[in-house]
Amino acid sequence: MHASIRRVYWWLIAPAVLLMLVFYIYPLFQVLWISVTDPVPGFGNYRELIERPLIHRIWLTTLRICVLTTAITVVAGYAVAYAMAQVGERQRTWMMFCVLLTFWLSVLIRAFAWVMLLRTEGLVNTGLQELGLISEPLRLVRNEFGVVVGMVHFMLPLAVLPIYSNMTGIDARLVSAARGLGASPIGAFLNVYLPLSKPGLISATILVFVFSLGFFITPALLGGGKVVMISEYIQVSFEETLRWGQATMLASTLLFSVLLSLALVARFVDLKKVFGAR
Amino acid sequence: MSLVKTLYEKDLYPEIEDAGHSDFARDCVEIASERLARGQIDRRTFMTALAALGALPAGLTVASRSAGAAAGELVVVNWGGPAVDAYAKAFGVPFEKATGVKVVIDGTGPLGSKIKAMVDAKAVTWDVCDTGTGTTLVLQKQGVLEKIDYSIVDKAKMQDIFAYEYGVPNYMFSFILAYNKTKVPSAPTGWKDFWDLAKFPGNRTMRKQPNGMLEACMMAAGRDPKSVYPIDIDLAVGKLKEIKDNVIAWGSGSQSQELFRTGEVVMGNIWHTRANLLSQETNGDVTWTWQDGIVTAGMWNVPKGNPAGAETAMKFIASSQDPDQQLVLFNAMGNGPANPAAAAMVPADKKHIDPGQPENLAVQVLQNGPWYEEDSGVRNLTNDELSREKWLDTLSS
Repeated sequence: MHASIRRVYWWLIAPAVLLMLVFYIYPLFQVLWISVTDPVPGFGNYRELIERPLIHRIWLTTLRICVLTTAITVVAGYAVAYAMAQVGERQRTWMMFCVLLTFWLSVLIRAFAWVMLLRTEGLVNTGLQELGLISEPLRLVRNEFGVVVGMVHFMLPLAVLPIYSNMTGIDARLVSAARGLGASPIGAFLNVYLPLSKPGLISATILVFVFSLGFFITPALLGGGKVVMISEYIQVSFEETLRWGQATMLASTLLFSVLLSLALVARFVDLKKVFGAR
Repeated sequence: MSLVKTLYEKDLYPEIEDAGHSDFARDCVEIASERLARGQIDRRTFMTALAALGALPAGLTVASRSAGAAAGELVVVNWGGPAVDAYAKAFGVPFEKATGVKVVIDGTGPLGSKIKAMVDAKAVTWDVCDTGTGTTLVLQKQGVLEKIDYSIVDKAKMQDIFAYEYGVPNYMFSFILAYNKTKVPSAPTGWKDFWDLAKFPGNRTMRKQPNGMLEACMMAAGRDPKSVYPIDIDLAVGKLKEIKDNVIAWGSGSQSQELFRTGEVVMGNIWHTRANLLSQETNGDVTWTWQDGIVTAGMWNVPKGNPAGAETAMKFIASSQDPDQQLVLFNAMGNGPANPAAAAMVPADKKHIDPGQPENLAVQVLQNGPWYEEDSGVRNLTNDELSREKWLDTLSS
């Protein structure tokens, strides 16, 4: 490529880069800066990460919920995407519509809908009681179970879409060839199809896990105030107790953990390939 | 609005506000907005108040967006909606008539974090802010408030205990025991009953923040209502632990109301204004007792270095202590007057929703702000800070 043309390209992306620098990178550095300067300069805020049991508990809750949500979402999303890749054009359109429909609904509406379904006098509990399957209503919401249900529901499209787009690129004849060479249906799936769909699985896992880390409304509503995840505690520190050093420290650790999980995954797979870059 | 909430969901869903926490002051606005929308109060209520107070001076400005102060102007910040009009008519008009200082009501919401950011950046545009005791305590520790000048503000026109060093009560409200009559075998009479899961089975709701809850815990532990303070924080959170499995925590006032509506709780420690709404919409099925209620106050704060000067702000606060003005606010928004002299002026049919009536006050506990300010002896935290941490820790354990 000519140097002059390359220079033109640089100029073309300059406004976008500038915008990012001013409105994204600079505030991000401010957050990092506050985390080591407020209330006193030093790493006091980060020491709290090690010393305070409350912060341990909140981080453990966050990680536990994220891992659970990610595992369930990716498995369920894989099943949906697989079905979508196999069915006819008409059904596929409908399935895609249904997946995207939940994506367009407000997260608040979805959370309240789950409350209405899962509460002690809700549809699920009264239904099970009418059928005589349970005598006492089950605790399905305002606890960690409810939070995971709500989060899996929210995340499902984020898992289905990358897995499905990856699956559309898999040559179906390869599975037929494996079958023709004597593989059982399960064997053909496990040895041929599953490895080919790995990039989709990995990108879905990253996407869901990273999104889950920062979740705020769903745990706040479905957790009944008893499932406190890191974002909610950042909000409390920032707006209620005005401990900005602590809030920015937590926000920074959230950022680092996202980068860390990406770095870990990058050791095993080519991230460029996963996200579709050449 | 804040840098942290922009994480992911906020960008997509602006309603995220509803899921968070709210102060009583903001909650009053939500309630009044709903009532206005449903036609339960109308703008004539305000007009009647106006007629009593004289015509609206031509210069009075009502701003719903953030206002910057001009010379000879005083910016009073509250939580917007109907509170903008109500505050203008209750407090703005009389002050302007008396002093000639133009009062601008700014409804953008005086979040503690915004006040701190303004003062830290030395770009203060607000003069008087409508916050709560909790926010006052947090802000005063941050050193971003002007000290209240009690030579201008009259200590006699408030409950003594609400005369904070950095805050003045502008109205009163209570944390009370609300319950659903149809779901309890008999009427609970106090916090001991609240803790009695055998006699009163079912879920309860308490607030995510300890303010107003610790007192209930202490009374449940057998402490006499008259000697709730000093609170033993460990004892109080220990009481929470006892019933925690049956507690659903509320963050905003509307959440506390929803929990009763959906039938998820049979009783709760909630604000009396929300209990009153529940009582109205359920035809009295949900009701409350003032017994062992915890009275607290909405607070006027003045940010350090406010543009109109501390003295003008103090004069405004002093002017707002007038019982007539507080009654206008009570009639429009339901905020109980802070000046005891206003109690006798409350209409008879509204006395049962005013926490400041002598008969209601007699059975309640006045919240002790000074205790919350005291050093806890742990990691340099005040009792307020330590109890917030332990409360959240216990709730989420």
